[in-house]
Amino acid sequence: MLEFVVRGLLLGSVLGILALPMGLLFTTVRTIDFAVGAYALLAAAVAAAVPGLPGLAAGLLCAVGAAGVMGSLYLLLRRFGCEDAIVPALMSFGLAVAIASLVLLIWGTQPFLREGFSTFLSIAGLRISPQGLVDLAIELGIVATLQAVLHRTDLGRMMRATAANPAGAALAAIPVEALQFATFAAGGLLAGVAGLLIMYSSGLDFTAPLGLTLSGFGASIIFGIGSPLRAMLGGFAMGTAEALGAGYSSGMVAGMVPFAFVLIVLATTRFGEHGLAGDRL
Amino acid sequence: MLVAQGIRKRFGGVLALDGVDVAIQPGQVSGLIGRNGSGKSTLFNCISGFLKPSAGQVRVDGRDISAYPPERIVACGVARTFQTPRVEPRATVGDAILCGFYTKGRSNWLSALAGLPRAVREERRLREAAFLLLERLGLAEFAHVEIGKLSMGRVRLVEVGRCLAAGSRFLLLDEPAAGLTREEQSVLAEQIRRVAADGAGVLLVEHNFDLIRALCRDVTVLDEGRVLYAGASAEVARDPRVVAAYLGTAAA
Amino acid sequence: MTLLRAHPNTLVAVALCACVILAVRSDPAWTDTAVLTGIDTLIALSAGLSFGQAGILSMAQGAFAALGAYAAALAAIRLGLPGAAGLALALAVPAAIGYALARALIRLSPLATALATLALGSLVDIVLRGWESLTGGYIGLAGIPGLGLINTPLGYLLLVCAMLCISVFGYENLMHSRHGRALNVIRHDRARARADGVDVNAVLSTALALSAAMAGSAGWVYAHYISYLGPDSLTTNTSIAALLTAVIGGAGYILGPVFGTVLFEALQRFLPAQEAQGLFYGGALVVILLVARQGLLGLAATSWRGRRRLRPVQAPASAAV
Repeated sequence: MLEFVVRGLLLGSVLGILALPMGLLFTTVRTIDFAVGAYALLAAAVAAAVPGLPGLAAGLLCAVGAAGVMGSLYLLLRRFGCEDAIVPALMSFGLAVAIASLVLLIWGTQPFLREGFSTFLSIAGLRISPQGLVDLAIELGIVATLQAVLHRTDLGRMMRATAANPAGAALAAIPVEALQFATFAAGGLLAGVAGLLIMYSSGLDFTAPLGLTLSGFGASIIFGIGSPLRAMLGGFAMGTAEALGAGYSSGMVAGMVPFAFVLIVLATTRFGEHGLAGDRL
Repeated sequence: MLVAQGIRKRFGGVLALDGVDVAIQPGQVSGLIGRNGSGKSTLFNCISGFLKPSAGQVRVDGRDISAYPPERIVACGVARTFQTPRVEPRATVGDAILCGFYTKGRSNWLSALAGLPRAVREERRLREAAFLLLERLGLAEFAHVEIGKLSMGRVRLVEVGRCLAAGSRFLLLDEPAAGLTREEQSVLAEQIRRVAADGAGVLLVEHNFDLIRALCRDVTVLDEGRVLYAGASAEVARDPRVVAAYLGTAAA
Repeated sequence: MTLLRAHPNTLVAVALCACVILAVRSDPAWTDTAVLTGIDTLIALSAGLSFGQAGILSMAQGAFAALGAYAAALAAIRLGLPGAAGLALALAVPAAIGYALARALIRLSPLATALATLALGSLVDIVLRGWESLTGGYIGLAGIPGLGLINTPLGYLLLVCAMLCISVFGYENLMHSRHGRALNVIRHDRARARADGVDVNAVLSTALALSAAMAGSAGWVYAHYISYLGPDSLTTNTSIAALLTAVIGGAGYILGPVFGTVLFEALQRFLPAQEAQGLFYGGALVVILLVARQGLLGLAATSWRGRRRLRPVQAPASAAV
């Protein structure tokens, strides 16, 4: 069983990375970007097409670019006077569908996979995937960087101010729109990294985006959507549950885990609850 | 009778209401006045179910409604207006008033879906009642006008009308006269008198003293979450405590 | 006749169906397309009801249709029940699940509800794919019997059109009743609805149940028409397409989803490749949300209203408000 847990933790590293954009975006912009999974797909698709390191860079660039499109759309919507949280989310949904279709058009139904490590390591009698260790290391690095940026830099201070009170932040000469755009773009980068990591392990195809988005969302809300640390822990929790499910039950049950998590957490926590006075969250 | 007794409401460290008692008699109009921040809206929210009192009870004819959700309290015949009218700018005046009659309908979903004669008749009955109410409020000519195009005074009248439609026994009116012209104010006053004459009890929050004195026989004064004065409205302006609270001790 | 005058949307739907039936009845290929379009339209209509009126962004309409389809298929194949019983199940099962889901989650903001329905849809996808003993897994269910007398493509077309018109009729009646009005108020301001005496939870849950039942009925027709059900028959993609066409057509208008679906099915023929479908739908959604959030019907309505001069506002003679 320990092996399952370890496998789950390593699996959960990537989920944690996917959870980060969800949390960042929700706290700063109060909406969900459904296209996060699509950015991951795009990164993997481009990287699989272009060999070597340039491929990775190109993949990340495309992911950030796509996220930038979403960021611009969001700002445009605000300019047109739309204060609703649902419309940008719906729009990101359309973008996700469009990106998946684009990938399908250009590259077809093949999965995007790159050869990673061919052998498993054996540590303390457990089979451990070296790719998993790489994922974990990368995630820890990202989370540490994010925490440092958010809490120790001016940029982070401005982001937290914008999240708490956008109107007030604007009055304090904080470039709110630029920050919001940057948050979207950062989400694209993070999703791109996740997509590349998945490409090196199980691979992904054009049907992946929505599942990835939901998994990332599920991981982000388990322990509360507030901080990168919680997103990381949420990823571990979900990954472990999936691995245990796959190990002790069936693949079907493992596949259900992220979605069941989402439903259970939403049904039992206060996430997104309406205040009785009708305030929208 | 609607009785609110010992209402306490705490928000974290702030005690918004500290043991407030207020009663509404059927057929009478009672006033509730106080400076901004004295707890009037909080009291309204506690009585109408939008907030749960930290302590105290609200009873309607003996029945404890303190823990009821707002919609259940409306079903008991207690309706309220919002200080800032909650309206959908693109809805028409007629539709808005019609929405207030929700609890007056009896048809269930199935008969509504099927378009059964019972449901059709009920719809016609509700529309007639809504139109009559519009006429009484002097808003009949605006029945098809979008609320967003009306003056604030008329929007408040619509808000009051919606409350009149929903509330049959007790009405809680939160500054209904703000922004109304003299004409509109007299229409409003007339409607309030009329609904009281029909047997409903009204709790009227207003800054407009003339209106309070004209409509209410007794009035409760709130200050910083406590009842400062509860008695005849004719005397309230002379009470030194009230004067001090409103004008500051320097003037007393 | 006041009945007709009071149901303009139904009238249009009937007229549209009549035109379609007359146009395609002699061409089996077109008839087949029309039946499938009709099924998609019914699902899109259900998405319009839940999103456009109740404000519930449900991404599970395809899942509800799938539940209805599988319920009907299993009733016919495993239990040997007649088509009508299958319809009852196809209405009841999705409605029950939709109601339960809504009751559990309806205090949540629309965004959270959307995610919950997406999760539900994905769960249903997985279960249908994985529970082999019940659903036949990847192999699916074959040999679903036809519906008695209605066993020709034209017969199915008449059936689908009838169901569509009945659904529009019910939808229209609903929106003209206090329940429909309550739904609209809830969509804009839940506190306002509560102050009107509306039990928001119960009303929203009932609305989603209705919408789920409507989708389920579409699944019932689908199962009997295609006579085969597999995991790829009615999936999250169906949910997405239904929602997108409903929003593009105008989710707030009763006929918006109808218009959107028919338009898109027609335009799809001109796509360079089947794979470009998502690009087309997704791109259209983005554009519509930017420039015409009320959808194409909304665009038509505002330009129509702008061109007509305002009629003088007059007190109605009768009590019509």
